[in-house]
Amino acid sequence: MDIFLVEAIVNGLLLGGVLALLALGLNLIFGVIDVVWIAYAELVMCGMYAIYWLHTYYGVPLPAAAVIAVLFVALLGVLVHKLIIAPILGSAPINQLLATGGLLFFLQSFATLLFGADFRNVGLRLPIIEVGEIFVSFARLLAFGVALVGMVGLWLFLKRTYIGIAIRAIAQDREVMILMGVDPQRVYLVTSAIGGGLAGLAAALLVLQYDVHPSIGLSFGPITFMICVLGGLGSMIGGFVAAFIMSQIIAIGGFYTSIELSYVLAFLLFIVMIFVRPQGIFGGRS
Amino acid sequence: MRSVLFAAAGLAAAVSAAAAQDIRVGVLYDLSGPFAAAGSVACSVGAQIAVEMMNEKGGVLGKHKIVAVNADAQSKADVAINEAERLINAEKVDILLGVYSSAHAVPIDQRVDAQKKIFWITTAVATAVVKDRNLQYTFRPTVHSDQYGLVSTDFVAAMAKPKLGMDPKDVKVAIIYEDGPYGAGVASSNEIGAQRQGMQIVLKEGYSATAPDLSSLVTKLRRARPDVILHTGYNPDITLFLRQSREQGLRFKALIGHGAGYGQIDKLIETFGKDVDHVFNVDPVAAQLLDPKTLKPGVPELTAELVRRYKAKTGAKEVPPHASMGFNQSWILFDKVLPVAIEKYGSASPEAIRKAALDVDIPVGGTVQGYGVKFFPPGSQLAGQNERSSPVVMQYVGGVTKIAWPRELSNIDPVVPLPATSPYAMR
Repeated sequence: MDIFLVEAIVNGLLLGGVLALLALGLNLIFGVIDVVWIAYAELVMCGMYAIYWLHTYYGVPLPAAAVIAVLFVALLGVLVHKLIIAPILGSAPINQLLATGGLLFFLQSFATLLFGADFRNVGLRLPIIEVGEIFVSFARLLAFGVALVGMVGLWLFLKRTYIGIAIRAIAQDREVMILMGVDPQRVYLVTSAIGGGLAGLAAALLVLQYDVHPSIGLSFGPITFMICVLGGLGSMIGGFVAAFIMSQIIAIGGFYTSIELSYVLAFLLFIVMIFVRPQGIFGGRS
Repeated sequence: MRSVLFAAAGLAAAVSAAAAQDIRVGVLYDLSGPFAAAGSVACSVGAQIAVEMMNEKGGVLGKHKIVAVNADAQSKADVAINEAERLINAEKVDILLGVYSSAHAVPIDQRVDAQKKIFWITTAVATAVVKDRNLQYTFRPTVHSDQYGLVSTDFVAAMAKPKLGMDPKDVKVAIIYEDGPYGAGVASSNEIGAQRQGMQIVLKEGYSATAPDLSSLVTKLRRARPDVILHTGYNPDITLFLRQSREQGLRFKALIGHGAGYGQIDKLIETFGKDVDHVFNVDPVAAQLLDPKTLKPGVPELTAELVRRYKAKTGAKEVPPHASMGFNQSWILFDKVLPVAIEKYGSASPEAIRKAALDVDIPVGGTVQGYGVKFFPPGSQLAGQNERSSPVVMQYVGGVTKIAWPRELSNIDPVVPLPATSPYAMR
């Protein structure tokens, strides 16, 4: 087998790990609160800035900065819910979409105002792993591993803890759960915090591989949303599988054709899926 | 009462006579938004220095002061167009000077040319701004993007035998670029240049500047094994490419960037440290890098004054190429064109300036950026473009920018192929 094709597939797998992690938080929030945070990638951007700032200007070691960033974005998640989502929870989905869309532009402009349009990075150079003729990025491998751990951790949390069970119950039927004495607002807040925390975790992994700038969300936002829709909005397993389908199309398609065309192929698949199976690969509800 | 009226009338006449002596120039740059920090503010400071230096000499021909009417395009095309219209219609300027972005220059030049006003472009480089448009009142003394791609392939051809020990026709080049008008434009001139030199193009591929992953491009480059990579991109994609190339073990003999992201050496060093040593960049030169011996008398003094004033104004340690671009083009207008317009053609009207601009004939070494000035006449494909403009190939050596090409301006022997200390060097 062509050694370069193997390399492309491996790189596709690793990219899939990053995308899967991004899709995880967005899916959780949609599954439970039934709201799409269009500004999800912008929350990731906030986390990246937090890590950059703590590490570069205050000398906080990267792992500690990463932990602070996770907590910081979790708090942002709670604020997003409290200030933006909660007041319009009952309104039409289009209004919720517009509100989080507004948040997207707000965060982008606010970051530009605060940090300027410059590209910044933590200046970290991680080792390279060389296996035979194939080279693997350590940062990507790390992101891949953490994404898997995050998935399993979230699954255990939802299965084993009381609040986790409450979250799943709300996701299944929000009307009945209120009758059962569960306070949905508390569940929503915890879900928003977890969703935000996952965005912070993604930020900690992305900051190792990418420059931070106010429009970094544009690189990841649209494709994350597509992955969630492709897998079935709200389905975490679906999002995980879809992330790897998309990343392999981009990697192998890019290898055989061009990067531009590989995205065309990925979008084409997306459009076809919307027609053939609008609820997504693993989606239950329409 | 009558005498008061007479006095008032006299005063008004005196004021209008004085005003007639002045030359009002609309100066349009992006002072806010993403272009501001990417060089537009540096351009505006350069232009401002040119205005001050001319006025300290008493103005054009010692008596016509330049009155700059400044405006901010905010890095937005619609704002740029509105401000250009306002400068011409409300502020009544006959000359519009500036603009950083080619995307702003195209819609503006169409409007300004139609109103028969002078549009003096200092910075926007896309060839498409003037190509096949036959503009009559638009002039661009600075370089244009087609030149970027050709200069780099000329340079590679010249380096092939002495440095790489191979015939130009055996040199394998890869052309990669962001797929916007800027990257695609430079890439197509790269292709023309490489074909002209008979080189082998082993890969030519574009990508979106916001692509989150370039690893399949890097893998293909590894398979194609180019000797030289010709790259045009902005900032996030360049750092992503360099990072993924290092991680994936891509090796080459030389990497030549073409302005934009590659022009920001400070940023690249911040990210990659020594790894970006010996990377090449094609751009118009920063005036202070030129060897004074290659310039005409009086020109090195201008450069020294520009550098002194720029540092005093901004507190910067380094003077970026964009400051030279803003200053040089403005100075050409004030010092070489306007005097001819007034003396030979009788006024600083757009028609007189247009004729004077077409008369201008400055030899190589006659401006602070080294190039000469002679505008392509109306009717030619690039009407209004300076036919003597030329970018240079620079090399970053130990964090310092050196000039590698053309030979008559160079101040180092270019380091090709990459030395073994580079993580990208062939091994």
